[in-house]
Amino acid sequence: MGHHHVSSSAMFFNVLVALLILTGITVGTSRIDFGAANMMIAMAIASVKASLVMAFFMHLKWDTAINKIIFLSSFLFLSLLFIFTFADHATRRMDTQWHVTKAPVDKQWVHPSQLVGK
Amino acid sequence: MSHDGHHSVVIPAPGPEFQAHTVAHHFDTPVQEFQSAKLGFWLFLATEILLFGGLFAAYFYFHEVYPETFRLGGQQLSWKLGALNTSVLLLSSWTMAMGVRCAQTSQKSKLLMYCGLTVLGAAIFMVIKFIEYKAKNDHGLVVFSELFSPYNEATGQLAWFKDYHNAMVDKAGVPLPHGHLFFAIYLTMTAIHGLHVVIGAGLILWVMKGAAKGRFHAGYYLPVDLVGLYWHLVDLIWIFLFPLLYLVP
Repeated sequence: MGHHHVSSSAMFFNVLVALLILTGITVGTSRIDFGAANMMIAMAIASVKASLVMAFFMHLKWDTAINKIIFLSSFLFLSLLFIFTFADHATRRMDTQWHVTKAPVDKQWVHPSQLVGK
Repeated sequence: MSHDGHHSVVIPAPGPEFQAHTVAHHFDTPVQEFQSAKLGFWLFLATEILLFGGLFAAYFYFHEVYPETFRLGGQQLSWKLGALNTSVLLLSSWTMAMGVRCAQTSQKSKLLMYCGLTVLGAAIFMVIKFIEYKAKNDHGLVVFSELFSPYNEATGQLAWFKDYHNAMVDKAGVPLPHGHLFFAIYLTMTAIHGLHVVIGAGLILWVMKGAAKGRFHAGYYLPVDLVGLYWHLVDLIWIFLFPLLYLVP
């Protein structure tokens, strides 16, 4: 059947080698302290690895447009979950030291810009 | 003529060791059958992304609120075993991709071999996972026998979190806030992922049963393709779990 794409063995092997090398890079970069950037670096490498798996192992590169849209849209909806979760967190006062202070969180709402520390 | 008046479409077997495939009667063509199943399966995989996505949202949220708890929690896990399991899963994803390729090219014995290797990868992954869970249990970080015990009001921690060796304390010896939280997320995410590994291995065994009978060949390999997609999704999830849990950034 002409609509089926058969990938070459060499291509699959190259993708495997790339994935294993990227795993090594993930471990390597985690050893260096880049501060907050460590999370961005780890997630960027993971995204590249995930893209390789999706495009080549899962054949999404050669799949129909509708299948690409369906699967990739799940990441779009996921980003909505993340955006609203973190929008809530960024605008909420939380006492993360409750286990030391045992003090109740202020009942009165304070604008985030007025807070000394979250 | 079938009962509803349509001719059944039959895809002939490419050789004596294979079986012909009869297209299900509610499809007009093999292409329609193939594309319908693929569409449905991608929809299912999208819901899988959303299932794990909720857990990832929980991870990122609590990582943001309790960064030190997560950093120290991640150090309690063996990154070496995590990296080993990552490699095992990547290799098994490759063997599965090769298996699908062998189905597409009507290579029966190689299809069986690659599927067998993939199941072997799944087994090695679960054995390593078990060794890790056992260590967490022995250190009291996840006491499995008390998994469903109620919340401990006195300690403010979940009852299954004992921390026998005081691993989750700050420099002054004060327990870190919500030390149990990292391990609750670790356990939930890896256990649901592990369940997918077990289900995936079962599906591949089912594919092997059909492959042994010669059901899958260049003309019809749909079940191999779909089970392969499921297995790659398991790999996809782990690609994110490994750095987040074992190398907490």
